[in-house]
Amino acid sequence: MSAEESAPREPEAADWLRAARERVRVFAQYDGPIEEQADVVVVGSGPCGAVAAYELARAGKDVILLEEGPPFTVRDFELDGNLSMTRTMREGGLRMTRGTTMPTMQAVALGGGSLVNSAICVRPPDPVFERWATGFDLERTDRAHLDPHFDAIAEFLGIAPTPDAVQGRRNLLFRDACRALGVESEPIARNVTGCRGSGECFTGCRSRAKQSMDVSYVPAALRAGARVMTSLQVQTIRHSGRRVTGVAGHAVVPFSGGRRAGQTHRFRIDAKAVVLAAGCTATPVLLRQSGNLANRSGQVGRNLQFHPGVAIAGVFPDQVDPQFGATQGYQSLAFLAEGFKLETLWAPPPLLSMRLPGMGPELQARYAELPRTAVWDAIVSANRSLGELRTRPWSSNPVLEWRLHPDDLAIVRRALHVIAQLFFAAGASKILPGVYGVAEEMTSADQARVLDSPAVRPENLVMAGNHVFCTTRMHGDPTRGVVDEDGRCHDLENLYIADTGIFPQCPSVNPMWTGMALARRQALSLAERF
Amino acid sequence: MLHPVLTLFLAISVVLVLAIALQRRFTAGYAEAPAGLAVLHKGEVAFIQAAAEVLFPDGAGLPVIGVDAHLPLYVDHHLSALPVAQRLQIRALLLAFEHLSLFLPAPAPGGRDRFSRLGPASRIAVLERVGSHWEPRVRILFTALRAVLAIGYLGHPANLRELGLAPFEIEPAVSDAELLFPRIGALPMSIRFEAGDRTDPVALGPLDPHGPRHRAYQRSSRDSR
Repeated sequence: MSAEESAPREPEAADWLRAARERVRVFAQYDGPIEEQADVVVVGSGPCGAVAAYELARAGKDVILLEEGPPFTVRDFELDGNLSMTRTMREGGLRMTRGTTMPTMQAVALGGGSLVNSAICVRPPDPVFERWATGFDLERTDRAHLDPHFDAIAEFLGIAPTPDAVQGRRNLLFRDACRALGVESEPIARNVTGCRGSGECFTGCRSRAKQSMDVSYVPAALRAGARVMTSLQVQTIRHSGRRVTGVAGHAVVPFSGGRRAGQTHRFRIDAKAVVLAAGCTATPVLLRQSGNLANRSGQVGRNLQFHPGVAIAGVFPDQVDPQFGATQGYQSLAFLAEGFKLETLWAPPPLLSMRLPGMGPELQARYAELPRTAVWDAIVSANRSLGELRTRPWSSNPVLEWRLHPDDLAIVRRALHVIAQLFFAAGASKILPGVYGVAEEMTSADQARVLDSPAVRPENLVMAGNHVFCTTRMHGDPTRGVVDEDGRCHDLENLYIADTGIFPQCPSVNPMWTGMALARRQALSLAERF
Repeated sequence: MLHPVLTLFLAISVVLVLAIALQRRFTAGYAEAPAGLAVLHKGEVAFIQAAAEVLFPDGAGLPVIGVDAHLPLYVDHHLSALPVAQRLQIRALLLAFEHLSLFLPAPAPGGRDRFSRLGPASRIAVLERVGSHWEPRVRILFTALRAVLAIGYLGHPANLRELGLAPFEIEPAVSDAELLFPRIGALPMSIRFEAGDRTDPVALGPLDPHGPRHRAYQRSSRDSR
């Protein structure tokens, strides 16, 4: 079939668009209590929820996709990284863990985290799935069973390695450093088509090259007949015996997360099945606040894990022009067996500036060096650092208790040292490790040895934990986990969970693609069952 | 045994002296806040400007210095956008720093005075004491304060433009999202795009690393953004 034959003719496109628009609801349309029915209601439109909604709608189910946040158009994006976070993140982007203090974020927007992440897609290596299978009584959660789902998503989203033309110097310096030290590295595969190198993945892609869910799976779900209702916050999962009957909650004013008299009406949706894809830190809150649902195992909210991330800024003798280039364009998986993955990183410079040390002229001098600066980071597979999620009265935001385990701290130290070595191999004149208690600036690999020493303590690190896992973990044994391999809650016949909370352990690599593959498998299974 | 009237007089005097001291410490002597602020109190404005003066002083090569970077305006804008709980946290941080010198005084006469009344050297001393404190939970206060102000300072259009770090000028694309969803707060009937308006980023190709930057960053003032 030629391209001309496959493209929809204009009248067909207009028909689709008109029909799809009628299936979308936004805050401005809510003028009274809302009551709807559906076969399946999917709570959360992030990568997992969007895939589930699409596959279920494609299978002929009547699907409602619910999202607490609003849909963003390009003109709604905020270029200022700080203000962008207040609009796209729960708690204004200021959520922190307790114990080992670390910022962590949860997006609240149509498309979820995919709107403001850097689109990294990595399949976990075999050992990850082997650990999952042996440690958690899983029989079908391995590469052989999941690869067809990974492949289908890759084809749908056009996942491909970041081209050299948009790497920019700060990413290519990392490649060169790896080559110099004999470390394997590769361009990061991303769900991006036509990247222009603006480096603004974290504030929303104005070129719409990033195939975030709001431009990919959600429109596809609408095309397949799903309904999309935004600015609705689920507060209760309604249930009777071993079955759930739907969800209820109220509309929320965009960006406020709250109500406004006369505008934030209540809603109720009756459904034959519910898929919770609200995110690893929101789904357990919903379950707990719905009468401690699906928690006979006592595992809801427990086993909280992160990929704590640490970064180092390296200053080069000449211009790096870091504003140009894919936000995260290069990575190394060479140290996965040791427990960490290396990546390049860029973010709006004012956000990066938060971690620069000092004050006064010294601090301003560091700002002046930013055009010669690259930032590289490591995410750590901290599967010994277990935390717990607790609910707060009258709040949909959780308390996250988490501490970095000494064994995982050793991995962090090692990762910092490797990043430092890479910077000096690439010709950096100095690095800023961002660790309190050691030199603020280091000028040689020898000096950086201290980073792999007890001088680096958890309270001295600047970490971030943006991959969150395991709070409703999958386990073959119903007494030790919340869901089975199809994402169905052990305790309930028709309640499913499709987010990174079901991961049995942290996956050692960026989790989006894995979550989507699992969600696709669940959706196909659910579609067959109902 | 004091006469009851004398006791009452002494008690009232003590209360009055305390009230005057508290009033002098916490509210007196602040200049009026600039018009147009939605959240910040005049004391918070004074603190922000006093901190900005020593965190981002003159003579360091960036075109805009701290006191000219309209940081109260920026912080006010940020606070307005935050949920109530987080807004309170940041305001508590500002209040804590304004009076932290009570517990971590500057090593100079009057070193326990409120932060915005201290001289520049004393302000630097207080910030350094907090930033290098042995207790990590105290140190993190300094990191948080510096973050709140640094974001606004470095994010000033003139500073980012000077460093070549302003966002690129990009013609907003039209994807399925723009076809399907109205702007936030608007009704679907406001959508003006049709299928034929969809843009293709592949056809546009990579940006020029030295290409033009967003028009909002070509101006010099935060007010004009």
